[in-house]
Amino acid sequence: MYYDLNVPYIANHGELQRTLAFLSELGYNTIALDFAVTGKVPAEISNQIPTPLPFTIPNSLHILRRCTLHLSDPSQNYRLQALNSAYDVLAIRPDNEKSLQQACQALECDLISLDLSTRFPFYFKHKTMANALQRGVKFEICYGPGILNSDGGASRRNLISNATQLIRATRGRGIVISSEAKRALACRGPADVVNLAVLWGLGQEKGIEAIDREARSAVVHAEMKRRSFRGVIDVVHGGEKPEREPERFAKGKQEKGKRKASVLEGDEAGAGNPTPKPISKREQKRQAKKARLDTGKISENKPKEASKGSIISPEDAPASGIPNGNIN
Amino acid sequence: MVRIKHRYLLVHILYPDPADPPKGKIPSKSPEKALPDLVQFHRPSPNDLTPQLLARTIRDQVLLLYGDYGLGLVSSSLNGKFHPPQLMDPLLTLNPVKYLSPATSTAIVRCSRAHYRLVWAALSFMTQLTKTSKQGQPRACAIQVVRVSGTIKKAEEEAIRRARAAILRAKRESGEGSTDGLLGILGKDDEEVLQGGKNMTAGSDVSDEDDEMGMGSDGES
Repeated sequence: MYYDLNVPYIANHGELQRTLAFLSELGYNTIALDFAVTGKVPAEISNQIPTPLPFTIPNSLHILRRCTLHLSDPSQNYRLQALNSAYDVLAIRPDNEKSLQQACQALECDLISLDLSTRFPFYFKHKTMANALQRGVKFEICYGPGILNSDGGASRRNLISNATQLIRATRGRGIVISSEAKRALACRGPADVVNLAVLWGLGQEKGIEAIDREARSAVVHAEMKRRSFRGVIDVVHGGEKPEREPERFAKGKQEKGKRKASVLEGDEAGAGNPTPKPISKREQKRQAKKARLDTGKISENKPKEASKGSIISPEDAPASGIPNGNIN
Repeated sequence: MVRIKHRYLLVHILYPDPADPPKGKIPSKSPEKALPDLVQFHRPSPNDLTPQLLARTIRDQVLLLYGDYGLGLVSSSLNGKFHPPQLMDPLLTLNPVKYLSPATSTAIVRCSRAHYRLVWAALSFMTQLTKTSKQGQPRACAIQVVRVSGTIKKAEEEAIRRARAAILRAKRESGEGSTDGLLGILGKDDEEVLQGGKNMTAGSDVSDEDDEMGMGSDGES
């Protein structure tokens, strides 16, 4: 599974479709379409990227929607919470040292995506970077502008310089490499990207992780932030009605003890699979015995069990939202 | 006797931009539309792409990226001698481009083992093929290294495997489900090949008779 977490969403759908097809051809599986927000955040935040996309994409491609917020004035309120809930991934692109510091220390985001094709008048400090890494925020290197090199060498030089600086400052941890390709021509295959990363001083294993595991972790973290509630990741199995119980008992009932297992097997089983497992003979006997014991005091038991059965649940919980189904 | 060790890069030249309509003809859209993306990206290279031209393009790119120092490092294997076609050794012994198939846009480039990453980076940063004549246009292309091998034989085998998988995949994408003809011949172990076809773009590993340093990004994980 290879990730490219930055493909700018452009209005030219023909070119975008070509870029996506080319990325799929190169071997990427998950693409994040990126919508840039500059200046003031609009009052009504809504996802600007249509879903499903108005053109056909390769079947194997998984599309995410991401928002990049250009941050220049740290004192302004950017309402990250609203942006966070509207998009799958939220990235921040700081322009100056102050906003970079703020993004590293406080702002609630998933990626810090510096524009590495420009020159920064400051050094990246390990201390601020480490702060971000500790919070689980990743740094992004976008190689696309350097490949296209439209301004005669400056963007490529800056890319190499900034990328080595960034890798030095982060000690190679928490780096995500993505393309930021406005044209299909700027995309390169995963192995080529890893080779570039090796030349920038990242090392082979870390280079592979940068387009694979680190990127995936950024996506999953973003998903967790938006969807989880008090440690509940997902309610995969709504719980089924016991056969002998009347209907009014079903409301709010959840399977309590086996949540972990059902989360794990969520992808195969799916939430919409209501068929219960065939009951073993032992279980049948146990149930029969229980029924016999309970018949007398069923009226007292019911309200108690019902309150016990209702557990916290996130507002919406489709089962297959998490890529791959398991979390690391 | 100590051998001089090389790396052989198996390279795909991909054309991400749509094909130009042939000159003097009315651009007819229907056959262009019918081509699947796979075929368009792996379209045949233009006729004037020769091993010499490709070698010169690589050398120029190395010079651009690394300067004289870098070119000096790699040029012992990317041999600097550049023969005019009539003097060319038929085996291309002095050309770093050991194999070039314009029909499949596949090439095998030889470089020294110590500096193959330099050549690779130069290939990655390449965005166009140089024009050969004055009126010729530079053609946009992206170069993807699909395998790094210690022996030319393995690179060759990989090239054949990929070409075969690509044909099967293109057939499948264009919806020709017939089992006779090409699919019948090639598709004997088609399931395995098609599996490989799915991973065909991710692979890059190194196999040498002496040292195995697998890249690990082989797509099987």
